[in-house]
Amino acid sequence: MKKRAITRRDFLKKGAGLPLACAFIPGVFEGKSQQQVQQTPKVRVVLIRNKDILDDKGKPRYEVIEKMMGEGLCELFGTSNPQEAWRQMIKADDVVGIKTNVWNYLPTPKELEDYLKKRVMECGVPEENIAIADRGVLSHPVFQKATALINARPARTHHWSGMGSCIKNYIQFVPRPYEWHGDSCADLAKIWFLPEVKGKTRLNILVMLTPLFHGIGPHHFSKQYTWPYCGLILSQDPVAADATGLRILQEKRKEYFGEERPLQPVPHHIFLADTRHHLGVSSPARIELIKLGWQEGILI
Amino acid sequence: MHPGASMAGSKMKFKFSLSYVDTLFFIIFLGIFIISLAGGVMVKDKSYLSEKSRIKSLTADDLKKLIPENISGWKAIPEDQVFNQETIFNYIDGAGEVYRSYNFQLLLARRFQQPEKPDLVVDLFDMGTSYDAFGVFTHDREGEKVDVGQMAVYKGGLLSFWKDRFFVSVYAEDETPKTREAVLALGRQIDSSINREGKLPDLLALLPSAGLDHDTISYFHTHHILNYHFYVSEENILELGSETEAVLARYKTSGRQPIYLLIVRYPDEGKALYAWNIFCKNYMPEARIPGEIRVEDGSWTMAKQRGRLLTVVFQSCPDKEARSLGEKILFKRIEK
Repeated sequence: MKKRAITRRDFLKKGAGLPLACAFIPGVFEGKSQQQVQQTPKVRVVLIRNKDILDDKGKPRYEVIEKMMGEGLCELFGTSNPQEAWRQMIKADDVVGIKTNVWNYLPTPKELEDYLKKRVMECGVPEENIAIADRGVLSHPVFQKATALINARPARTHHWSGMGSCIKNYIQFVPRPYEWHGDSCADLAKIWFLPEVKGKTRLNILVMLTPLFHGIGPHHFSKQYTWPYCGLILSQDPVAADATGLRILQEKRKEYFGEERPLQPVPHHIFLADTRHHLGVSSPARIELIKLGWQEGILI
Repeated sequence: MHPGASMAGSKMKFKFSLSYVDTLFFIIFLGIFIISLAGGVMVKDKSYLSEKSRIKSLTADDLKKLIPENISGWKAIPEDQVFNQETIFNYIDGAGEVYRSYNFQLLLARRFQQPEKPDLVVDLFDMGTSYDAFGVFTHDREGEKVDVGQMAVYKGGLLSFWKDRFFVSVYAEDETPKTREAVLALGRQIDSSINREGKLPDLLALLPSAGLDHDTISYFHTHHILNYHFYVSEENILELGSETEAVLARYKTSGRQPIYLLIVRYPDEGKALYAWNIFCKNYMPEARIPGEIRVEDGSWTMAKQRGRLLTVVFQSCPDKEARSLGEKILFKRIEK
């Protein structure tokens, strides 16, 4: 251990007595002044909600997903219709991997997968050049030759990394995911610079329909700790999408538990993705958050 | 010379001619000697490594016998699932690392179904030792305390408990009053089929009792788990690992924040001293008194090593409390 390790004390220095608070204080890691932060161009994140998204059995309605995605993409790309936004993302000669999440308690909704595939096909991509997968993407023939990726997964607390969201969703692009678990998955963002992934992601969708805000037990899941938030977060920047989702989960925890209860462990991989790996931005001051649709209980 | 001994030729030969009483005394003496020897070993070394070295493997069939097939109208589906250290990630996302860090041996998962009712799932972990069964239980102690196994908590449809070398999780996929009853009943049946209780880690005996918040005690081996409970450093500056055992607990104090006490036992004194050096070098490089520092939030951190033990007191304010806790540990030693 040649260099002195980063310790709790480093966080105390930055957090002015509030342990690990720096993880939630914009710009604290990179040591940027407030002025510098304000001068940096902002990254756009769209949060769209619709209270009718879920039917009485909690199943997403396809037509509402389609409507939300359409409105959200127009806002994200500054287009007058969704088709134009899709054409900015996907070309007919692209090979497209739609990276989802199959975790059985809270998977990427099938309705969203269907929507994404349909829209990619409308961009002229033949069906055989489109794949939807999670585990096994490394050996999947379409993902192996993919020129474009779409990243779509639900937001949830995660036992080992603090939060399972867009950045973490690419862990299946490495052969031994457990090797990335060190220090609460601190360096997950490095995966985004591997050749299989680098520069290919055209859209990140953090699904916030029924997010998990607290995990218990071996499977880190209880339906009791999910709620019908009925939202989708869209961004081309996975760090900004995750940081926004995280703020909502934190607020929900505060509301539910009646006190500040930071995620355990602190999902610092989201902030380190910004400050250490420069994958995107995590500071709210550098995020242009556009809120569409249902506003009640928005928590942000 | 014993009266029964005789000489023959130039070589000394002993011929024992023991009376019945002599034989009886001899057997009793030998028995006491053997028991003392064995007992001595056991009493002397109750450490984790010693416990671990005595693990006898159990099979999936051994685990199957501990779980009933029916409970309150729910029936087990025919196929149980079995996972080991390599395959656990196929079943548990993320948290699999926790069970691996506690040296888990085998996991048997059994699902119960009843029409129109949420499924119930039992995850029975053979942790090899009672120390690790207790340890993994302490990883998440949140919930309502219930009387199942040696310690149990219930929350959000999930019952977690430990007994002997087993950690058990019984979970209802949706919580209703009926599933709560069934989950607890299932837990109690499993509890009653585990015949014996397990020992707590002897390291716990070193925790001073005054001010101790018992519900915050956690027992573990690796620095990832330490950081989960109390973040110290991204690097393993306490040299924790599968051969070390550590206990962390919170103490209520007069100060604005609780004190955290960490005790680590290393396989030998050399490793403990080395760890102390690494910790001091990284955590308190500017300390005037080795092992003691006032940190950025005004509280004190104190680290002391003696024998195989390393004790660290975090967040103490004022320093008297840190000294008091540290010294109580170091002088309440059970071994050199």
